Amino acid sequence: MSKHPTIAEHLKASGVSRRSFLQLCGTLMATAPFGLALTGKKSVLQIADAIGKTKRPSVIWLHFQDCTGCTETLLRTSAPDVAHLILDVISLDYHETLMAASGAQAEAALHSAIAENAGKYVLVVEGAIPTKDDGIYYEMGGRPGVQVLREVAAQAAAVIAIGSCASWGGVPSADPNPTGAMGVSSVVSGKPIVNLPGCPPNPYNLLAVVLEYVTMGKLPAMDEFGRPLFAYERVIHENCPRRAHFDAGRFAYAFGDEGHRKGWCLYKLGCKGPVTHAACSTRHFNEIPGVWPIGLGIPCVGCTEKSVVWRMSTVETVPIHLATPPDTYPPIYSSAGQLKVGAAALVGVIAGAVGGATWVASQRFQSSQEAGVARVIADRTHAEKLKLSSENQTPKKED
Amino acid sequence: MAITRRELFTTVAKAGVPAAVALTVGSKALQAEEIPVPSAAVGLLYDASICIGCKACEAACAEANNTPEDISGDQLHQAPTDLNELTRNIIKLYKPEDGSPYSFVKRQCMQCLDPACAAGCPFQALHKNPETGIVSWTADKCIGCRYCTITCPYHIPRFQWQGYNPRVTKCELCSDRLEKGLKPGCTSVCPTGAVIYGPRTVLLAEAKQRIKNHPGRYYQERIYGETDNGGTQALYLSRVPFEKLGLPELGTESVPARTLRWQRRLYQYFALPALLYAGLVQVIRTSLKGHEDEAHEREKETGLRAQL
Amino acid sequence: MSSTTIANASADQSRWERAVPVYGFPVVNRFFLGLVAMTLLAFILTAYRELAGLGPVSGMNDAFGWGIWKTFNVMVLTALGSGAFAVGIAAWVFRRKRLHALMRMALLTSFLAYACGLLLLGIDAGRPWNFYWIVFPWKWNMHSPLAEVAICMSIYAMVPLAIENIPPVLERLWYFDSRLRPGVERFERRLHYFFPWIIAAAYLLPGMHQSSLGALMLLAGERVHPLWQTPWLPFLYLGAATFMSFGCVAGTTMLCCVVWKRAMDMEVLDEAARITAWLIFGWMGWRLLDILFRGALGTAFHFDRFAGVFWLEMILIGVGGWMLRRSLRTHETRIMFLGYIFSSLGGMIYRFSPTTLAFRPNPESLYFPSTIEILVSLGFISMGIAGFLLIVKRFAILPAPLYEWHDMASYFRFRRPYIRWTGYFKYGHFGENESETTDSH
Repeated sequence: MSKHPTIAEHLKASGVSRRSFLQLCGTLMATAPFGLALTGKKSVLQIADAIGKTKRPSVIWLHFQDCTGCTETLLRTSAPDVAHLILDVISLDYHETLMAASGAQAEAALHSAIAENAGKYVLVVEGAIPTKDDGIYYEMGGRPGVQVLREVAAQAAAVIAIGSCASWGGVPSADPNPTGAMGVSSVVSGKPIVNLPGCPPNPYNLLAVVLEYVTMGKLPAMDEFGRPLFAYERVIHENCPRRAHFDAGRFAYAFGDEGHRKGWCLYKLGCKGPVTHAACSTRHFNEIPGVWPIGLGIPCVGCTEKSVVWRMSTVETVPIHLATPPDTYPPIYSSAGQLKVGAAALVGVIAGAVGGATWVASQRFQSSQEAGVARVIADRTHAEKLKLSSENQTPKKED
Repeated sequence: MAITRRELFTTVAKAGVPAAVALTVGSKALQAEEIPVPSAAVGLLYDASICIGCKACEAACAEANNTPEDISGDQLHQAPTDLNELTRNIIKLYKPEDGSPYSFVKRQCMQCLDPACAAGCPFQALHKNPETGIVSWTADKCIGCRYCTITCPYHIPRFQWQGYNPRVTKCELCSDRLEKGLKPGCTSVCPTGAVIYGPRTVLLAEAKQRIKNHPGRYYQERIYGETDNGGTQALYLSRVPFEKLGLPELGTESVPARTLRWQRRLYQYFALPALLYAGLVQVIRTSLKGHEDEAHEREKETGLRAQL
Repeated sequence: MSSTTIANASADQSRWERAVPVYGFPVVNRFFLGLVAMTLLAFILTAYRELAGLGPVSGMNDAFGWGIWKTFNVMVLTALGSGAFAVGIAAWVFRRKRLHALMRMALLTSFLAYACGLLLLGIDAGRPWNFYWIVFPWKWNMHSPLAEVAICMSIYAMVPLAIENIPPVLERLWYFDSRLRPGVERFERRLHYFFPWIIAAAYLLPGMHQSSLGALMLLAGERVHPLWQTPWLPFLYLGAATFMSFGCVAGTTMLCCVVWKRAMDMEVLDEAARITAWLIFGWMGWRLLDILFRGALGTAFHFDRFAGVFWLEMILIGVGGWMLRRSLRTHETRIMFLGYIFSSLGGMIYRFSPTTLAFRPNPESLYFPSTIEILVSLGFISMGIAGFLLIVKRFAILPAPLYEWHDMASYFRFRRPYIRWTGYFKYGHFGENESETTDSH
């Protein structure tokens, strides 16, 4: 067998059944039915053909400030065969977690992997790269990670930053970011970089990008953040299976309440689906439908977005930028107006005041008895006054 | 000097009450209150039995009129519960509790042949186009009195309650689209053809044809708006009673004709008021003379200046 | 001038012979300051309303487009302020001479009520800058009752009513400075020449717009409850305005006399009460007959709020009318006063109902005024009351017996210290300085 066998040759030599391989190709097709040249509008057999003819790609995988979750996502497939299958399709020439070597042997393995596949290997970076204080917060073999990354990336054909940490800094870059953690694109320049944010991202995104690159010779179309469009063009909200509940206004308001148990929309619990670009709502994890955060009743935290996760509170609701009509109908007569207690009280006070004033005023009117007596007295007094004034009256001037 | 009641009445009577009565009651224009149908009257025919409640017409109306989305309900969904300053057209659902047939209804301006809104508008801000019959609102003439919101029997015109430059909003049959030869927004997107646009005569004929083709399907085999409220240009067909859909049974007389008949008669040509004025002037002249004479006498008696 | 004339005058001690300014009571007291404060508050809130729109300041909504500003301050208060119309017609057209004593009170209360109503009409309009169309008669929609109301009310308040309120001002000017007298007298003669035309307009115009206020709700048709909605609505509104305004004028006059210790002329008040009682019973009869003939009487016996309001109105008006008639027999001023109050209150509720209490646009909606709405309404009413208090103390408006006219010449001229009410009058004697010129003393 040649030093660099085609994938088909290698699979045959490894004893992988054609059925498993075709299943993998089917999954790949479901990953990106339209967005990739490799899988767009092709049948499974056509994809298998294309992949089978290609030489097995060499992949070098570097870890930096990571939790190894992105590696785990590659391996934690629901059936162990698939993990093996993935590792048969790509040639993972250097991977610190998976390889047996350590220490000086590991370093040697890295150098030989680079030398053998110079200019042809795909560099996958996992984890953020600390840049503060000359990058001393991560050292590999005694050398700062920044340096190592630049050296290895210099000879790579393409760089794939897997996970949010490698894409834009991830967890280590959360405030106050004491290590100056940054994504690959802030450290490496001059090489095509594909960002696959997520915490962790779906492994089939990685597989699809790698295979697309090696079979078709070019990277998939990307957005302004370097994220492939086939997986990161839409927000979770647009394809969410619970969207009907959102549109109908059926929300879970507390974990474990009736709405939550019935699987209603988690928007009110702080789901960041409307602002998070990712494909999780259509491609779930571990090859089991329904295994993804929202499907399990956990609101999306927006793990792919730098401005969302670690920046917004998980319970904070996000604004919706595309309003659409829901599926409820208004009744024939709608209600309007409300009785405000303050205003009603004011009206009561005024009515009371006016009534009271009227009563008091009416009391000052004399009853006829009193009026009769008072009139007699008043008449007498006024008669006296008139007499007084008539005595003092000056002669009247004629007009 | 005091006038007797008899003298008063005879004065006024002689002054020409007969003439006034002849003027008001006998005038031809008021004898038969016939409402003219505009020459190029256009309208809508909405068949509630075909409507599926998709609300495409609501979205199309907002787009055709360039109004922003109405998310006033919960700030989340474009879900108006009724017409308002952003919503000219709305789909409502009549769903009885007892399981009898439900129906959607599309509510928008009925473009009445004798609109009550225009009859009440003080400075003719709401005006019925004499050719197309479309009732439209002009911002320049509106004083924001909201009388139209009270007089319209269908409760269609809506006033903008926020802001210092409020407007009155209602469907105007997308008149700017009509000028370009397009159809109104709602009718151009209806997927089932529940609402269609056309000249009123054509729509009436179509509706009658439908009634004939499907006997027993439509409520009372009747088109709402043919003569209701004196006739409207938005016509309705329905399976369920029209009242259940919020379309009141108003009879064949238009609201203004029925309620303002005497108002119009009494003020016709301003004859009666003018006559009354003339009579009053005469009476007061005499009273004033007597009053002034008495006042001067009192002035002499008391030595104090007369108060009128 | 013989003393016999004065002795004859003393025979009817409390006849209201003359309007006399209310002297001895300062204008600025706690009550007045309170009213001014309410007015200022209303102005501030009005400024807010102009900027924020009608929604945030009021309880008006899509179903109830009219709130208390139009329905209370315009419809109800101008009815109370129809005194110039009702009392005037009784005095000038039907020649009830005794009622002339009340004319100035009637004119003043009418003017203030209309000022308040028109201001609120302007505040209530959503786009008031377009009111200028009022100047172009060919733009008016003559079929619209609201156009009729707005135009007629404006013309009435600004022309005939204002002109009729000028004589007290002229009177004060005449006394104030004798150099003005020739001009004042010339102006008065000119005015008197036109008076028949002005007064006739002052009766025609309110007749028109008070009935048009009733016609407004005709267009609402079935949405006004049948106990109120009738083709006779304009006529009933006009009738209510007449007895309400009598109540307002006579009641206010009685209240003023009691508060400021003036004698009441029972002949005038009895005459007014008699007329009011006739108006009330005539009006009630007309309304009940109309309800009977329309077959709506059954609805008065349902147990709902409409029947409740109906009976409240009718009972208040009926009891008011009965009290008036009783007070005529027993000469009890308290009963007469309460009779006026009750009948006016009932009339106010009647005029208020068709737009709010008896208006059912929609089974699900309701209207209740917001606090700001109520405060603005109250504030402008306070302005009217404060204006009344000020004017009544500075000009000769309130009727009084002849002997109250103590040296009013000096009072008008601020020449002597204000006369304090002590029961005896230290300064000035009856009719002194009546025709003095400025440069004596």
